[in-house]
Amino acid sequence: MFEREAPLGYALVLPAVLYLGVFIAYPFLMSVWMSFSDAQAGNQKWTWTGWANYSKVEAYDVLANSFHVAQFKEKKDAEAFLAARDKATVTAEPAEGGKFKGVLHVAGKDVPVLQLDNDGDASFAVQTILSDFDWSVAKSGTTWDVVAKTKDTPLTLGEFQDRKTMKDAIKNEVLVEADTTIQEKGTGVLQDPNFVRAVKNTFQYTFGTELLKLLIGVPCALLLNRKFAGRRILRGLVVIPWVIPIAISAQGWLWIFDSTYGVINWALVHSHLVSPGQVPNFRGDKDWAMFSLILVNVWRGFPFTAIIILAGLTAIPDEIIERARLDGANAFQRFFYIIAPMVRPILMVSLLFSVIFSFTDFNTIWIITRGGPYDQTQVLSTYAYQLGINAGYLGKGAAISLFMFPIMAVMVLAMLQFLRREV
Amino acid sequence: MAEVNLENVEKRFGETWAVAGIDLTVHDQEFVILVGPSGCGKTTTLRMIAGLEDVSAGDIRIGGRSVVNLPPRDRDIAMVFQSYALYPHMDVYRNMAFSLQLRRVPKKEIDRRVNEVAEILGLTPQLKRKPRQLSGGQRQRVAVGAALCRQSGVLLFDEPLSNLDAKLRVHMRTELKRLHQKVRSTMVYVTHDQVEAMTMGDRIVIMNGGKIMQVATPLEAYDKPKNRFVAGFIGTPPMNFFSGEWVDSKVQLGGGVKLPYPRSSPNGTKSVVFGIRPEHIYVRPSGNKGETAVPSVIEVVEPLGHDVVATASCGAGVFQLAAEIHDGLKPQDKLDLQFDMARAYLFDRDTECVL
Ligand SMILES: Nc1ncnc2c1ncn2[C@@H]1O[C@H](COP(=O)(O)OP(=O)(O)O)[C@@H](O)[C@H]1O
Ligand SMILES: [Mg+2]
Repeated sequence: MFEREAPLGYALVLPAVLYLGVFIAYPFLMSVWMSFSDAQAGNQKWTWTGWANYSKVEAYDVLANSFHVAQFKEKKDAEAFLAARDKATVTAEPAEGGKFKGVLHVAGKDVPVLQLDNDGDASFAVQTILSDFDWSVAKSGTTWDVVAKTKDTPLTLGEFQDRKTMKDAIKNEVLVEADTTIQEKGTGVLQDPNFVRAVKNTFQYTFGTELLKLLIGVPCALLLNRKFAGRRILRGLVVIPWVIPIAISAQGWLWIFDSTYGVINWALVHSHLVSPGQVPNFRGDKDWAMFSLILVNVWRGFPFTAIIILAGLTAIPDEIIERARLDGANAFQRFFYIIAPMVRPILMVSLLFSVIFSFTDFNTIWIITRGGPYDQTQVLSTYAYQLGINAGYLGKGAAISLFMFPIMAVMVLAMLQFLRREV
Repeated sequence: MAEVNLENVEKRFGETWAVAGIDLTVHDQEFVILVGPSGCGKTTTLRMIAGLEDVSAGDIRIGGRSVVNLPPRDRDIAMVFQSYALYPHMDVYRNMAFSLQLRRVPKKEIDRRVNEVAEILGLTPQLKRKPRQLSGGQRQRVAVGAALCRQSGVLLFDEPLSNLDAKLRVHMRTELKRLHQKVRSTMVYVTHDQVEAMTMGDRIVIMNGGKIMQVATPLEAYDKPKNRFVAGFIGTPPMNFFSGEWVDSKVQLGGGVKLPYPRSSPNGTKSVVFGIRPEHIYVRPSGNKGETAVPSVIEVVEPLGHDVVATASCGAGVFQLAAEIHDGLKPQDKLDLQFDMARAYLFDRDTECVL
């Protein structure tokens, strides 16, 4: 039996196949199943629920944030209308079908704006437009319009069960030209504002860190590729952030970021650059928190980028650089015409790995901010954990983690395609 | 005018002397070959001319202008590297055009020059290819082409043929010589192969241990070697050497071999090295004056075709001789070999200079 190679070959790959099956394929398929079921902590029997974990719209909110209250041929008429806003009044008038029109009375004009189910809602909504919105005159096509706008507190025009009634309602309810937005409400993760924010955060985190890693890693590699005393020591030191376990180094960063006792704020206060009341709250403010996460990931990841690029640089034969010097290329031209294109394939490989690490990073975020403050820095991996494990919604957690899969697949395929073209 | 002058040029790497003070003038449009064993400082000399290596001492002038403080790109030189140093990400056209593009030569002119050079080198069908899609010989020609496009006064070559197979090497030898006659740049060419040196150079510079042993035309280097090193380096198979004593117009070698040495020679007794090329040892007397019979035994016969290299031994030691296949030499033959004393050399055993 030892004469033939095939059985031995199968025997040798069997452990690997088992490993792939047990530790990769099974959990993956399991989470796919979970994401299509009502799996929850404490729920023994899972039943198929289709796409409900991904997207289940229960209602549509219609929001409006700008109304064209009136239109004029002449600009001065529009301005006169705007000036008369202070003396404007609002009434609710009965309309057909038992509905009520909210009417705006300005400068002798009566403008029906909305038509709602009861008189209180109608007059309240129009009163809000009158007193809380910002009014201005704007040219729109051939007419001059008086526009009422709001940035952050749009008017809710109602909640609807399906798209058709919603469309009809908008047509019937809004009597002037208006900008409306539709917000889906429901129990699927796509309807969860935290999930939408987690997607945005994941991209921000990934591309923010990758860009910074390149901006720091490339010069670092160029520096380490030069001959100078202590180069070997420096090469060793540079990789330290990469080799320290993240659980330990992130703990260090936690101390650094402490808003009262951390070294950054301590230094800012004691050098009298910033008063104690105005120091950045690194983990408590959502922008600073995202900045802190990116900082930690860049600090930890740039050595990897630098070392890979350094490997690419050392692989360029000296004679190529010497020929470029003879050809008349100065240092910049050598970098952009010779070195960069020759390093690019290996740089893409490092970028590929790095993007995968950052896109799926859990540890850094979990240790530094735990997704906080108030879920403002959740990324897909932490939010999946938060929802799936901590809150017990296993199905939704699985659905969130599976969202990463197609996105990553697209990114990886795009980069591999690029690599194939390069080499 | 691109004459190259080296004046007492030295190069030291730490404790080792790569080049230990050389003087050399390469005339305008001359094809000069630097030849010598590996590690003798040829590459270093070339790199100092190119400006890739600073001189430790001395002066280098190109076209009468001292260049030791000029960067490589301002020296009016182009170089072909041993590894070809082609830019792997650029196609052949771009490889040849790159230096011209950097020098802001007009696009039309670049196109004209690249196409002309490609035509000369037979690279026109390959212009759109990347280096990795080319054969070794084609890459080598691209490297030469890139240097030619520059139309610089001086072209430097560092063992450009050493990565080619034997047949292609012989072909490129002729090709490069033809090219030199066409472009008329000053060429400095480094090789460790004395056959290449002899066949290609207008003059050859034989180097050893960082020093120049002799500068001569190929014929001079063969006929009138200045010292034992040159005599042994030039010529295949190499010259035979025997140490002996010079006494009273005779050379006494080991084993009682005594040879008359007719040339005017130093007086008295002297320790010498006697040298004679294999091709100046004959199987039969030719009737020339100055031939001396030396009883010998043939040990090995290596036929190369028409020519035969035989190894023989006499009382003074083992030596090689060049014969013809029709001479019918066989191992164990005992015969009197004729040493052509008119074409033999005597070297001082201490200074190794020819006497
Ligand atoms: N960069 C260097 N550092 C130290 N020694 C060198 C360097 N380059 C050449 N050498 C030494 O200088 C001597 C001459 O080298 P080189 O000019 O390359 O010889 P060749 O080209 O004739 O074979 C050799 O002994 C080599 O070891
Ligand atoms: Mg060399």
